[in-house]
Amino acid sequence: MAPHSDPSPQWLQALQHPANPPKSKPANIPDPPGFTPASKPNKSSATKAPRKQPTPAEIDTLKLKKAWEMAIAPAKSLPMNAIGMYMTGNSLQIFSIMMVFMLFKTPITALINVQATFARLETEGNRGQMLGVKLAFVACNFLALALGIWKVNGMGLLPTTRSDWLAWEVPRDPIERAYYVPSW
Amino acid sequence: MRLPLIAAVTLLARTTLAVFADEAFKVDYHLALIGEPSDASLFHQPNPSSRASLIYSVSEEGVLGAVNPRDGTLVWRQVLSLEATARNTSFLRAGEGQDVVISGLGSQVAAWSAADGRQIWSVDLGSQLADVEILELSDGKETPGPKDALALSTTEKNAAVSRIDGATGTIKWQYPLDGGDAPYQVSASATEVYAVVLHKTMMGYIKLKVISLDPVTGHKKDEYVLSSDNELATPDSIISVGANSASPIIAWTDSAYSVLKVNVIGTKATSTFSIEKHNGHAVTSIKLHAPYHVNCLSHFLVHYETSDAHWAEVFHIDPKQSKVEKAYSLPKISGKGAFSTSTSDANVYFTRVTRDQVVTVSSASHGVLGRWAVEDYGVAGGTGEVTEPLRSVSDVSIKGETVSAVRSAVLLSTGDWVLLRDGMPIWSRPEMLASVVAASFVAPAEAEALVHELEAEAHSNPLQAYIHRVIRHLHDLQKLPVVLPSLPQRMMQGFLGTNEDEDVASDTFGFHQIVACATKNGRLVALDAANLSKILWNRQVADLKSEQTWQPIVSSPKGGVIEVKSRAAAGTQYNASSGEQLLSILPIDVELDAAAKPVQYTMRESTLEATMDGNAAWHFSPMDGERIVSLVPRPVNDPVASIGKVLGDRRVLYKYLDPNLALLVTAKDTARSATFYVLNTVSGAVLHSSSHVGVDLSAPISSIMSENWFAYSLTAEASDDSPKGHQLVVGELFESLVADDRGPLEVTANYSSIQTSTDPFTLTQTYQIPEAISKMAVTRTRQGITSRQLLAVLPDSHAVVGLPYAVLDPRRPANRDPTKTEQLEGLVRYAPVIDLDPKWYLNHKREVIGLRDVVTSPALIESTSLVFAYGLDVFGTRLSPSFSFDILGADFNKFQMLATVAALAVATFAVAPLVARKQVNRRWQFL
Repeated sequence: MAPHSDPSPQWLQALQHPANPPKSKPANIPDPPGFTPASKPNKSSATKAPRKQPTPAEIDTLKLKKAWEMAIAPAKSLPMNAIGMYMTGNSLQIFSIMMVFMLFKTPITALINVQATFARLETEGNRGQMLGVKLAFVACNFLALALGIWKVNGMGLLPTTRSDWLAWEVPRDPIERAYYVPSW
Repeated sequence: MRLPLIAAVTLLARTTLAVFADEAFKVDYHLALIGEPSDASLFHQPNPSSRASLIYSVSEEGVLGAVNPRDGTLVWRQVLSLEATARNTSFLRAGEGQDVVISGLGSQVAAWSAADGRQIWSVDLGSQLADVEILELSDGKETPGPKDALALSTTEKNAAVSRIDGATGTIKWQYPLDGGDAPYQVSASATEVYAVVLHKTMMGYIKLKVISLDPVTGHKKDEYVLSSDNELATPDSIISVGANSASPIIAWTDSAYSVLKVNVIGTKATSTFSIEKHNGHAVTSIKLHAPYHVNCLSHFLVHYETSDAHWAEVFHIDPKQSKVEKAYSLPKISGKGAFSTSTSDANVYFTRVTRDQVVTVSSASHGVLGRWAVEDYGVAGGTGEVTEPLRSVSDVSIKGETVSAVRSAVLLSTGDWVLLRDGMPIWSRPEMLASVVAASFVAPAEAEALVHELEAEAHSNPLQAYIHRVIRHLHDLQKLPVVLPSLPQRMMQGFLGTNEDEDVASDTFGFHQIVACATKNGRLVALDAANLSKILWNRQVADLKSEQTWQPIVSSPKGGVIEVKSRAAAGTQYNASSGEQLLSILPIDVELDAAAKPVQYTMRESTLEATMDGNAAWHFSPMDGERIVSLVPRPVNDPVASIGKVLGDRRVLYKYLDPNLALLVTAKDTARSATFYVLNTVSGAVLHSSSHVGVDLSAPISSIMSENWFAYSLTAEASDDSPKGHQLVVGELFESLVADDRGPLEVTANYSSIQTSTDPFTLTQTYQIPEAISKMAVTRTRQGITSRQLLAVLPDSHAVVGLPYAVLDPRRPANRDPTKTEQLEGLVRYAPVIDLDPKWYLNHKREVIGLRDVVTSPALIESTSLVFAYGLDVFGTRLSPSFSFDILGADFNKFQMLATVAALAVATFAVAPLVARKQVNRRWQFL
């Protein structure tokens, strides 16, 4: 602090930056008239009027909100995954193979556990809406799976081309065979 | 199962090497041979100051070689003429105390340094040689150093006696022999040179005419005709004798071998001796053995041979009266025998080698100076065959009056060249392998049986296959008592890497196949393809008369059986491991389904003719003035793993795979052109043809056909726009050049080439190679998964190279860099010149001379192909064109692996109590 350079008067500075702000007010000294403590919560009013319990409808709405969040969570991580997959390249290495494995494992386990995931949030009231949430969740996971398939295809692991089925193509057998007989 | 393998192989395919440094001299073998020695063989000291001598021989293959008599190693060899015909007479002379040997073969007389085989001079006399002699006289006028040579050349026009300077090879004088007489022999005594010519009389008989010449000037001194009555009908009944003795002689018989007449050249009198018969068997051959030195006693030995016995008579010449007298005779011994002459100062010794003994006698008296029993020649023969000595050359060591040691280099009837020292075989050289005319690999019966069992398992359903395998393993348990005792030793050997000499029967990888070689002399020799040190067996399979040749075909219809076919015999089968002839001819297993209709085609007088069910199917006759050079069908057993080529973008180019393809080469001598046809041998259709003009037709044209590709090489002559060069052309046939298109036949299961003809799309590429290729072969593996190598015999650099197919691929992009997908395939930009990488030379530092052909065979493991090349030399190796991906290499550190396992085990045991205590402690330290 530089008192000489500051143009404001001393009392203002003292008011704004009290050198030693009191931690707690001594009990026997009354507040000066006109002083209102700024940050004192009004305890008496809170205790007097306790918060009203939310109605089941409100809870349902809340749970639905929460469920939607959970449903679109896989979609949120999609761009990040896509960038990661793009960065790892299409070569077959242990690191990229592990990443691709995780890419498949997460949505598949999620799809298997759809009921368990939303069981806590499901109530009698929001069952109809929950169906839509679950569908969204499944769709998002399918998006993640699609990303995995796109990646696997890029790595050349999908049997989509002719060469992948070449081993099952049989050579043609000629009906005639010719033999060279030396004539000496 | 195949797909990952293919992927693995393609990954490895790029960095193909032929020979690794640590495998050289281990997986390959080479026999530097000279061929069966002819009569022109001798012991000679290359360095006159030292007593060590070498054996020099001009072989029947036309190779001059020097062999160390101590261990049989080849000191040096020179190929005089690889086109030497079977009975081409060759001459080899060495002057006493000289460091030069003089050879004569064909029209060429050459002098060679005896110690290192360097050529000193060579003279081409322009016509076939009849005789070569060394002029052993000291008239004071010759140059110091090597003695002069006398050569007698034939042919009507320039028949002459020539005296050739021993040091420079210049002709000192030449005496032309005219008058239409056939020159026969030249002999030199101490004072005169005699030329013996055959004069044909009006009656058709032959008279011997002797012309004596002055050795210094070459002028004729005298000429006379010997009174040979009418008994000489052919030159064959003249018994040739090399005649540099004090009294040169000439001997002849009548055609019935009843009288022997001897004339001392220089005199007109002939001595007549009657030849007795033996047990009613007529004498079949007479040979004369005489010393080759002027200052030796003039004694000679006549060797008589009947069909079942032989004996000899020794004659003495009285040089003053020129009278020939019989001195003594050597007893008759059954079987064949070989006599050889050795000299020590003036004394002459005759060494007789028979089936079971070696006897040395002095020429002066019949007392036996040394006798050694020969227990065994130590060579492999056929069952029940008696090994007979045919020719020998001996070196006798004399101590005082007795013979202390005799070394005889004996050519046996098996074709082995054996050195006997005092009757003990010291070494043997399998010289019959220098004349192999056909060879084939034969898998041992045991290995073939295992292959069949495995195939049965592969094709049955899993449960049956499992039961089959369990039963097979139970059967294998019966061998356990035999295997167990040898187990520690085998493990030790495997650990130390010393298990080199496995035998044929216990061969896990199929490296020890049997190579059956048919030789020029009608013998069949069986070798172990991984271990040439011993010959399994060697038997006579064809009874050939001299001058007779045969072109056998050796094949293996099934495991453990060798079949020899020739014009004379339709097909004889032999047990590959014992050599016994199989009595019942097994039905020929053509390795094909019976449903296939066979078309047979054959080459007749420069046309190809094919028959189907006995009816003529097609015939191919080349255009006017063209002749067929060669025909290479695709091998009958040519497995292909994949019917297409996978491109970089994972699409497929389908190969045109037809087992009935053949590559036919025709040449037109007048136009100097060569045409190459790819034929479908069922329909006779020409699928692809290419013609080259300006071809040097004297250079070899080699061709090969395999899988869906062919290759040929030719030598193009210089033209306006290109210099003379050797070209290698590679063509590959595809069903379609559009990817993923299987051609018009699509996926038809079977097809008839006669009804539906599909033409392949052919890609060809031409490469310039630095050398001519005389013969091509291609590596073969069991399933055809491994990439291929083109094996090429380079006759000029005496080498065999293995060219990786990736280098030859006709799909290499020309005039542009390969695209990314092409790079993925491993294609590199086309370069018109293929430099033969030194790493491709299979023979590495060896010199493999005179190769005629290369045969290949798959080993039991997929990665490896066995290679056997024959000709003058025998060379064999095994190749892994895509590296040995299914076998641990020599670089695998077994010790490190065992040490790691041991260290882990120790660590586990050491740490186990620590871990246990820690876990217990953790239980006690509750929170």
